[in-house]
Formats: sequence, structure tokens, C-alpha cells
Amino acid sequence: MLQFLMLLLPGLIPSWQFFKTVEPSPRVQWRLLSDDGSGDWRDYQPRPQSLSVQAILRRLFWNPDWNDTLFMVSLSERLMDSPTPHSLREIQRRLEGEAAQDPSADRLQFQLVFVSRDGGELIQEITYLSAPWPHP
Amino acid sequence: MSFDTALRATEILLALAFIQQSAEHLWRTPEIRWLFGLRLVVSVVLLVGFAPTLSLLVLTGLSVVALHHFQGPYNGGSDRMSVLILWCLTLAHTLPNPRWQELAFSYLALQLTLSYFISGWVKLVNADWRTGTALSDVFAFSAYPVAENMRALAHSPRLLLTASWAVIAFEVAFPLALFTPLSLIAALAIAATFHLANACLFGLNRFFWIWLAAYPSLIWFQARVF
Repeated sequence: MLQFLMLLLPGLIPSWQFFKTVEPSPRVQWRLLSDDGSGDWRDYQPRPQSLSVQAILRRLFWNPDWNDTLFMVSLSERLMDSPTPHSLREIQRRLEGEAAQDPSADRLQFQLVFVSRDGGELIQEITYLSAPWPHP
Repeated sequence: MSFDTALRATEILLALAFIQQSAEHLWRTPEIRWLFGLRLVVSVVLLVGFAPTLSLLVLTGLSVVALHHFQGPYNGGSDRMSVLILWCLTLAHTLPNPRWQELAFSYLALQLTLSYFISGWVKLVNADWRTGTALSDVFAFSAYPVAENMRALAHSPRLLLTASWAVIAFEVAFPLALFTPLSLIAALAIAATFHLANACLFGLNRFFWIWLAAYPSLIWFQARVF
């Protein structure tokens, strides 16, 4: 019951503090692991270099991939703030979907890279490295 | 706008927003397809106006299941506004006393007003927002810009300073728009344009549709109170 209220109350009594501060921003990177434990990191769902006006307008009505990418951001933040098996499994499941096109390796791994500003410089920090798990 | 008209307008806009959200979920979250398939069907029923109270009760139950499945909102503030509108509408339909029904709908109007005012206030008290640095950071490294070339806007300090203050001033001053019907309509038009810009720049399309769904409550509230 308490868990139910904790999920529901932020909807019924919202804080509305949008962009109160701009926090370090997570990027999810993943790789297929070869037998010797190596593999190249790649970004999850990298954003395009540019979008046409038509594409931007179309996304007003149909934007499922982008919204799921934003959910990955939430999951990454949850994994750092208050890790649960749910957050970890949801991230893994989405990466397994990405990796399904490439069955060349039998294990997957991901890392979270948080980007922030330090003075005038943008810095990147790896804050989480998952254990390898079997490629389904 | 009468209470009944405002309720019906909110139902229609909420149903359209839920149909859009549910279609995206059906595409992207297949592990819970039954939930969003059912939500889509019930939203269509609500849209056509058949058994609105039952439809709202079912949608409320489904919203709880979705919150449990995702262990919180899937899409942050837009899901929170979805839950808020849904619960206020359901209470406005099911509470036994007309005065309580109006109170439930007024709560939605109050929260809509607060959604702008509090967002503006937390920016006003933050030096990074007052100098344009925060908005520069949003473009420079946040997860929101929809394309890499939009990150170049981080290097337009005058534009970002002007935009920051325009957003802060509008959001903080929003409650003043309640004093006349005309000023409220003008403020809601500006607010909708603001959400449209966020949808284009940051891909927050669900915010645009769901915030529109709350507007009839405020138009009714303004006429009722002022």
C-alpha cells in the first residue's frame, strides 16, 4: 500500500520543478563482448545529426523511439540514485533488442557515462559498469 | 464555458492524448501490449462519449497498473499530468455532491496554474537560469536536444539569456492572466506555443498534447471564480 501511494502521490501532488537545475546527463553505452572480454562501446540510440522540418512535425504525433530513449535516461538516473533490479532489467531488455540484429557474440555489457559542465569544460565520467550478461 | 462543457472538452482532449500515447507504447513496449491496447480502446470509447464514468474508472485503474509496471512515470511530467487530469476528471464524475465535483475540477485548474508558476519560480531563484547558463547547459549536454546540430545553440549567449528571461517572466506572471478571460486565452496561447517549441526542440511531444487537455479546466475556473 505504501509503495502504491509512493508511485501515485507525485501524480496527484506534483512538484512541477521542471529544469530546476541542469543535472549531469547520462548516456548509455553498450558492447558485445568477444571471448577475450573486449568489444567496442557504442551509444544506445544515438540522436541524428539533424532533422528536417517535416520530421520534427511528424514527431509531434509519432515519437515512440525518442520517448523510450528518454525513459532510458530515467532508468539510468534511477540506477544511480536508488538502484533496483527493475531499472537494471529494463535497461538490459532494451539493449538486448538493439543487439538482436548482431548475434555474433554471446555476452553483453553496458556502462553509464554522465556528462556535466566543470567551469567552461564538458566532462564525462563513467559512473556504472554492468556485469556481462548472456546475449539471449 | 459551463462545467459540463469543460468536462466534456477535457474528456475529448485527454482521450486524444491517451490514444497517441497508447499507440506509441504498442509500438515500443510490447511486453505490456495488453495494457496499452485496452487503454487505446477505452480512450476511443471516452472520445465518442459512451459511458464516460465507466471509461474514466477503467483508465484510472490502468494508469495504476502502468505506474506499477514502470515503477514510476514512463515519461516524467507528462505522465504525472496524465494521472492528475484522469483522477480529477474521475472524481468530477463520481463524487456525489456537485460542489465536491467542482472542487475536484478546480484542483486541476489550480495545479495547471502552479505548473507554470512553480516552474518559473525555481528558475528565478537559480543564478544559472538568470544568467542563461542553465539553458546553455540544456543545449550543450542534456539528453533533450533532438539533433546534434541543435547543440550549437549552446553558443548563442544573448539568445539564450533572452529566452531564459522570457520563459521565467511568462511562467512567474502566469497567475495574473486569470484576472480576465481575454488575458487567460492569450496566456494559454503563449503557453501552448511554448510547449510546441519544447516538442520541436526536445522531442517532448506528449507534454504538448497532455497540457492542452488541462486548459478547459482553467477556462471554466476563471469564469467561475473571477
